[in-house]
Amino acid sequence: MEDLVGSWWDRLVRRAAYPGYPQAAVLLDDVAPQALLFFRAMGGDPGLAIRSAVGTAHGARRRWLARVAGIDTHVELAWRDGQALYLPERIDLYPDAALNRGLYFWLMALAAQPPAQGDWLQSNSEGTARCLTTMPGLATLYQRLVAALLPLRNWPANGTGQAAEQAIRHALLQPGTATALPAGSPPPQPVPLWLHPSPPSAAAANQDDGQQPEQGHGDSRDSKARRRYRARRDNPDDRKNGMLLQFRAESIFTWDDYVRVNRHQDEDEPDDGAAAEDMDRLTVSRDGKTRASRLKFDLDLPAAAYDDTPLGDGLLLPEWDYRRERLVADHCRLQPMLPRDASPAPLPDKLQAAARRLRRQFQALSPERSRKSGEASGPDLDLDRIIRFLAEQRSGVAVAEPPLYQAWPPAGRSMACLLLADLSLSTESWLGEAGQVIHVIRDSLLLFAEALAACGDAFGLYGFSSLRRSEVRYLLLKDFGEPYDDAARGRILAIRPGYYTRMGAAIRQSTSILLQQPAQRRLLLIVSDGKPNDLDHYEGRYGVEDTRQAVLEARRAGLIPFCVTVDREAGDYLPHLFGKRGYSVVHDAHRLPQVLTSLYASLTA
Amino acid sequence: MNAPHRAAAAAPLPFYQPLADECEVFEAAWRQQLPLLIKGPTGCGKTRFVAHMAARLGLPLFTVSCHDDLSAADLVGRHLIAAGDTQWCDGPLTRAVRAGGICYLDEVVEARKDTTVVLHPLTDDRRILPIERTGEQLAAPPGFMLVVSYNPGYQHVLKTLKPSTRQRFVALAFDFPPPAVELTVLREEGGADEALARRLVALATQLRRLGGYHLDEAVSTRLLVYAAKLIASGMAARTACRVALVEPLSDEPDTLAALMAVVDTQFGA
Repeated sequence: MEDLVGSWWDRLVRRAAYPGYPQAAVLLDDVAPQALLFFRAMGGDPGLAIRSAVGTAHGARRRWLARVAGIDTHVELAWRDGQALYLPERIDLYPDAALNRGLYFWLMALAAQPPAQGDWLQSNSEGTARCLTTMPGLATLYQRLVAALLPLRNWPANGTGQAAEQAIRHALLQPGTATALPAGSPPPQPVPLWLHPSPPSAAAANQDDGQQPEQGHGDSRDSKARRRYRARRDNPDDRKNGMLLQFRAESIFTWDDYVRVNRHQDEDEPDDGAAAEDMDRLTVSRDGKTRASRLKFDLDLPAAAYDDTPLGDGLLLPEWDYRRERLVADHCRLQPMLPRDASPAPLPDKLQAAARRLRRQFQALSPERSRKSGEASGPDLDLDRIIRFLAEQRSGVAVAEPPLYQAWPPAGRSMACLLLADLSLSTESWLGEAGQVIHVIRDSLLLFAEALAACGDAFGLYGFSSLRRSEVRYLLLKDFGEPYDDAARGRILAIRPGYYTRMGAAIRQSTSILLQQPAQRRLLLIVSDGKPNDLDHYEGRYGVEDTRQAVLEARRAGLIPFCVTVDREAGDYLPHLFGKRGYSVVHDAHRLPQVLTSLYASLTA
Repeated sequence: MNAPHRAAAAAPLPFYQPLADECEVFEAAWRQQLPLLIKGPTGCGKTRFVAHMAARLGLPLFTVSCHDDLSAADLVGRHLIAAGDTQWCDGPLTRAVRAGGICYLDEVVEARKDTTVVLHPLTDDRRILPIERTGEQLAAPPGFMLVVSYNPGYQHVLKTLKPSTRQRFVALAFDFPPPAVELTVLREEGGADEALARRLVALATQLRRLGGYHLDEAVSTRLLVYAAKLIASGMAARTACRVALVEPLSDEPDTLAALMAVVDTQFGA
């Protein structure tokens, strides 16, 4: 009974004390499709992703009711760092959904401004003023946002608090004229129209070279996967083998504070996720031990006898360093390889039916005949030319008889396609009943090859993975020169996932292979399942920028690069890499084989 | 050499706002009898520049918009049947050579590759135009000048200028004018007042950041002039921006919505 009443009271008081207007809430997911474009148009760095911000404790005095209900301790504010723009996951500050939506766009415009001088108050006020002078259309929106915000703010009780609030209100109403916050004032109430006063330094946790675990690509992804926790790095505690005597009610505190001890339970509690959401910060520490050993297990290089067969000594390829804005010559070593244990094999039985269907479709696509006029002989007369010829004859000038026929020669499509498949370890993850990503990729390669062999276009199949810059493994599955036969099928069947995704080097090598093909149109098709990444600094922005450069180089060389991905978040970075029309996201990975072939047909038609 | 004689007062000089020394380059190339290649994005003022220079030098202008069915006969000329007789009819290139004027081939990459070869004897020091059909060989007078333009932004694998053709031209690269110049263009050409021109230029700067990422091509000066004209004629600014700047750039609903949000930062209600 006490529980029941307690939870009922809790619900009631929380609802009464909740400061926002949930019925008018606007979610980040609602504005996300427009957010990147808007942010870039405002002058924001095009390399940045958009992520949802995590709530941080603001420490300001709350309303009485909110204190009773124990809510409103955290606030989600926007900020920007070198990797991403962080925006609140949802905004329900105003009773009017249009204002909440407007607030998103306001925050993006503000965050796109170059950082201003001064403290939190001054820099935000400065940025606001700059926004309003350069974008007069925003002024009306801003005035409405401020006018609706002021009644929602409460007056602090004490004097310094009031002075601070006065300064904030002044800065809100008259941007650009802010003075510094009065010294010694308590933490002011957060201002949702401004950027975060002290952004959590999420990047610090990313700066670690070396030991990055591969990204998880399970099916359980949801909006929380984008969430950034406020992280603190701690030096490892050197105690040998401590034990934690845990008092049940303190479990939150023992989570929060980093103590290197054996926890009393091995299993994760079911509501651990919720507990993590509640915490101010998650402590991340390097003890150099447990994770390293796990990585070692993942990455232990196979003995030479079990590894794929290397071909030659490898090739040195450049890599783009976006910080220095130049290509670093001979930075990666790319090792062409043949899959181990590949013996000639026929197409698996389960793919036979699909392959038959595709072959029929693509055979119909191939003999694309077009009329050619001005032939010396042919089945049809070229009327235009005959009329012109007769007119010239009548003019009395001697003209040699021109070719007056139309022919229908069998047109070669003059098309070469190189398919580059991502074989990194992330493709090992499972897709429910359909098996692993790698299986889907393998089937896609097989069916794709059947289709292309049927329509007669020249094609090559390659796979890649990488292990730091010294070993970019470039797996030769079917070369342009060789026919598509059981030997090639056997090599495709023998692919296995492994290692990381250093995409730039693989694209550069593919470009140079494709350039040797004598075809009018050359398509570079990349099948991927996630962002570029590798063990060293090749992740985040560095990897993305290098890949982008490699794609640009391919495009400059006259190739048509195109990316097909099963990564559902690819919309965040692929437009930057391949351009808006240069990629396609397959939301249901099981359909990759069908999508890939139909895409090829439409791309080349 | 014949000095540039001013155009008749009846035809006013088409407005053109020079960015740098392109007018001097054009005039020097004309004096030295060199052909000129102009490259630049859509709507940045290439055609206007040529019209301006032709009027300034007092030369007749023959413009050909190239397309992929343009044959050599379309340029040089052909026999036509008229009243039971055949007549030779000069094409624009031949007319330009005879008149000693400027022949301007717009978007020359659109023309078939074999078509551009007919330009070759005109673009080197021979400066002749052999007309095979009539057996005539025209020598270009000193006033004649060949100008071609193309847009290097098109990502078309098949449509590029052959190097052997490119290497015959003096080349000028055009781009969208810097804000200060574009401001003048909008005021002169679009009839916008100072404040409106400023906002439009700021909006263009914002939209041009999206070129290559979300938009195939950035918003052109021509579209800005359209928007300015519509607003000056009394249309609501937001509507004018939608029809002149946003809708021409994309078809995708999300992109359109985001572009309108960008427009609202300048012309918001």
